[in-house]
Formats: sequence, structure tokens, C-alpha cells
Amino acid sequence: MTVDPKQPAFEEPPMSDSELEAAARDDEPEESELDRRRHEIYPEGQPAVRIRNLGIRYNLRLTRRNTLKQSLASMVRRGDEVKQTHFWAIRNLDLDIEHGDNLGVIGPNGAGKSTLLLSLAGILAPSEGSVEMFGGTSTLLTIGAGFDGDLTGRDNIDLAGAFLGIPHQDMARITPDIIEFADIGPFIDAPLRTYSTGMRARLGFSIATSVIPDILLLDEVLGTGDQTFRSKSQARIRELIQTAKAVVVVTHDLGYVTEFCNRAILVERGGIVAQGKPADIVTEYRDRVREQKLIAENQAKRFASGVPG
Amino acid sequence: MTTPGSDALRPAVRVATSERSPVSLILEGINELLSRRRLIRYMVSANMKRTHVDTVLGQIWWVLDPLLQMAIYVVLIEIILNRGTPDYPLFIFAAILPWKWLSISLGTSTGSITGREGLIRQVQFPKIVLPAAGVLTGTVSFAISLIALGLMYVLYADRLSPWLLLIPLVAVVQFAFSIGLGFILAAVNTFYRDVQNILGHILRLWFYASPGLWSFQENLQDSPLRPLLMLNPMAPILESYRSLIYGTTEGIHTGPDFFGLGVVFLFSIGLILVGILLFKRMEPAFAKVV
Repeated sequence: MTVDPKQPAFEEPPMSDSELEAAARDDEPEESELDRRRHEIYPEGQPAVRIRNLGIRYNLRLTRRNTLKQSLASMVRRGDEVKQTHFWAIRNLDLDIEHGDNLGVIGPNGAGKSTLLLSLAGILAPSEGSVEMFGGTSTLLTIGAGFDGDLTGRDNIDLAGAFLGIPHQDMARITPDIIEFADIGPFIDAPLRTYSTGMRARLGFSIATSVIPDILLLDEVLGTGDQTFRSKSQARIRELIQTAKAVVVVTHDLGYVTEFCNRAILVERGGIVAQGKPADIVTEYRDRVREQKLIAENQAKRFASGVPG
Repeated sequence: MTTPGSDALRPAVRVATSERSPVSLILEGINELLSRRRLIRYMVSANMKRTHVDTVLGQIWWVLDPLLQMAIYVVLIEIILNRGTPDYPLFIFAAILPWKWLSISLGTSTGSITGREGLIRQVQFPKIVLPAAGVLTGTVSFAISLIALGLMYVLYADRLSPWLLLIPLVAVVQFAFSIGLGFILAAVNTFYRDVQNILGHILRLWFYASPGLWSFQENLQDSPLRPLLMLNPMAPILESYRSLIYGTTEGIHTGPDFFGLGVVFLFSIGLILVGILLFKRMEPAFAKVV
């Protein structure tokens, strides 16, 4: 990703200075700006999300090869306690997400971070336990999903709205905004297969971000299209993050987590292994990664010198 | 940006599916179908727009296609094999139209889940609308192809009768049967994609085993196969269409096989309930498999 020095990069604070300070003082006894906003709308003690004993199980015989391969890879790492026919992407997971939380989810690949996000979005149903959402959700995963090349841009907006379950009147109201933000001009009435990749991506982003959810779920931070559109889209994501009542971000960008999240969890092998202040969790994660790297290096050395484990 | 009161954006409690009763799953399936009518409508119109787009004759193909199919059978059976019944073109046309509907319905619904992978992995919506839209697409194309039937009556005006008004009744039975089957095929095909490969062959064999090119009255009066072939749910449906559209070989219209239709309809209601239950039970796994 090339960064135009004139354009503000996404790493810039998405919140105003006062709000940021407020977030930093979140654990202090006096009521911060964020706390006040949170308590105005929601009664004390009710979380935005409550997850109890969540388990998401994959049946290995039914999954296709690509998933199977990934699943097998994690299974090898996990050792022998897992049965061959099933694979728990998440198991025995408990989590409360409070209103006003900006929760960072970190962990190695295949740990179950994305599975957690998909289960929050309702795309993956629990195999065990429960997920309670005290507010509506929407993901920003939906870029261009389900687009139909033979339909016009306008028809695709209608179709996407219907898939997302947005009522017709609301859709009619926000369609002009979607078209304006996507900035595809007269092409809006041309079939989608005539669009360039950038135009498709812009339309997808514009639709996906046209609705403000209570609980915003983000899988990595998005970069779409050319420079101009990227800064426009980053501004909009910032707006979404500020407006949402709770945000969950799955990311490998540890800098983002320490800077903008007020809480973080470290997910490994389908469970939460640490949670708390972002700085502490990031340190913990870095330590673990270093430790595992050492172990792996030692193993490699032993293997190379021909000494069995 | 806006915050509309979307049902996808409402608070939700999700628990493991195995903890839910069959009745609540079936009711949820029916409720999803009813509450997502607009989505189904959009998908049907998208399917209709997509078919025959970019062809020179465009929408005319809806009418031309069954006529050409009929012409091929007429050449094969009436001219080459010399085995036709009186007014044979109309005789088989009465079967070609509903069979085309069945094969579009089952074909579209079978691939409806596997063809929408990106969407299923990224958006939360009731998947049951997909096979339903597939069957409805077939239904709309059937309605349009009735224009072709109108053209046929220019040649066979003496076979016109008021019984034609009962076509919707037979169509309701066929709709119930194909949507029930569509739910099951869509769900099973998600796990065993062999289904969509073998479906075309099964449909062809099924057509030859159904009273389409032949009729029980004409060709199988005393055959030992008769009771077996009568078990086919499409048999009373096709025979009923024929009695309304074509009549008997002598041109007498006697009305549809009400009893046979009734049995198939009851069977289809059962099939729909089983289909919805099976679909809802398998639905949680779709996003993991596609």
C-alpha cells in the first residue's frame, strides 16, 4: 500500500483528541465522554454481546479440500486430543462485549479469529452454546458479494439491500447516497459486467457501509480502489467506528490495536488465552510468537543435524 | 448513511441448532419465506433477466424453445418411428410445457446454494429463499410459455375447451411437488455435488418413464409396468394437463384426474415439510461447506 503524503493515512486517529483521551482514561473512576454516551443509552450491566460456552465445529468429512487442508493443518498443531472426523474451530469460549467497547481480536492464523467474527455476524451458527447480540450487526465483509454481472448497478443495489434485509422504503432513501458515494456516474444503469474492478469495488464498499450497525464487525482494515477513493473510504470507516455502539476488529495490525482499541483479546487454538488492555495483550502475543519461533528454530536445528526430537 | 430498521440488523439470540425442535425449525422456514418475499421477487426477476440476455431473439426464446423441442419429438416419433397419436404435436406439447417447468425448477434450485458461495460466506440471510426463487423462476417461465400453447391452438382450435381454465389447479399441485423436492435437492447438493451432475440424466429418464411422449390410455393399457409407473407423482400431473389441453385421442375432454392430483398434493405437502426441516437442519453447515 503506497501512502500519498498529502492524504491522511488510516493510521491517523479516527477519534477526536478529547475522545481519544477519554478512551485512554476508560478504566479510571471518573466518567469519561465514552462512558457517558454509553450509559445514556444503555442500562448499567447489559453488554452489547454475550457469548457463553461457544463452540463452532467443522465436520471434516463434509468440508471441501481447501478448508479441509487448513483444518488438518490446525489439527496437526493441536495434537492428538482432537478426533479425526470433527474439528472445533472455537470451543468453550465466553466473552462479553460492553457498549462503547472497541475490541481488538488478535492471534495467529487459524486460531479461530475469523470464525469468531463470522459467528458474531450470524453467518456461522453455534454448534454448542449461545451468542446473544443486544443490537443489530453488520459486517464489512460484504464487498461485492452476490453481485450479479448481468444486472445493472441499480438492480444490484436493490438486490443487495434485499439480501441484507433492509426495508424497501429505507433502500429507496439511501440509494442516491450509495450511487453518489460509489461515484460511477452513468454506469449505474449499465450491466455490472461492463464495470472496471475499481468501480465494482467502490459500489460494493458503498453498499456495505450505507447502513450503520449497532455492533460493527471488521475483518482487517479495508483498502479499496485508487488513492482518492481510499481516503474517502477510510474516512467513512472512521465515521462508522465512531457511530457504532460497539466495534470488533479482527486484525494482524498490532499497532492499530494498541492505538485505537480499548480492549483486546488474544485468540489461540479456538479459545481466548488472554484478555485485557491492548498494550498488555499485544506484549503477551509478541512474547508467545517469539517463544514459538524459538521452539520451531530449535526443532529445525535438531532436524537439520539429524538428531531425532 | 442511515440506520434503518432492517431485520438483519435487529438484536438476535443464536443457540446451537440441535437444541431446537423440528416444529420450530419448520415454522421459522415458512416465516422466512413469507417475510423475504421482496428478496425472492428480485431474485426471480434477476434470473429471468439473465436467461436469454444477449441473444438476437431475446425473450422470444421463451416461446420458441418449447416449440422447437416439440418439433424434434414430432420428427422422431411421428415421422421416423411412425407411432404418433392423432394431433400428436399438441399431445406432446401438453407434456413438454410442464416438464420444462419441472426441469428448470429443479435444476435452478439444486444449484442455488452452491452457486452463491461468496454471498453465503459473507452475508447472513435465510438461505431457504434461494431454492424457492429457483422454483419460482421455473413457474414464471411456465406462465410465459403458455403463449406458445396459445399459438398451438391456432392449428388445433377444435381441441379448445373450457377445461383449460383448470390449468392453474394442476399447476398448484406441480408447484407444491417441485418446491418440496427443490428444498431437498438444494440442501443435499451442497454436501454431495454429484446431485447436480446426475440430475439432468435422471430428469431425462424420468420424462421417458412419465406419460409425456406416450399415455396410459394409448400405449400402456394392459402393461404389467402400469401400476409401477402410476406411482410416479408426475404421472397424474401430466395426465391431468393432457386431459385439459388435449383431451382424449378422440378429442373428448373429461377433466383432470382429481383423485390422483389430490393424492399427489397431500404427498407434496408432506414433501414440503420434510424439505423445509431437512434444509433448516443442514443450513448452519452451508457456510462451512461452500
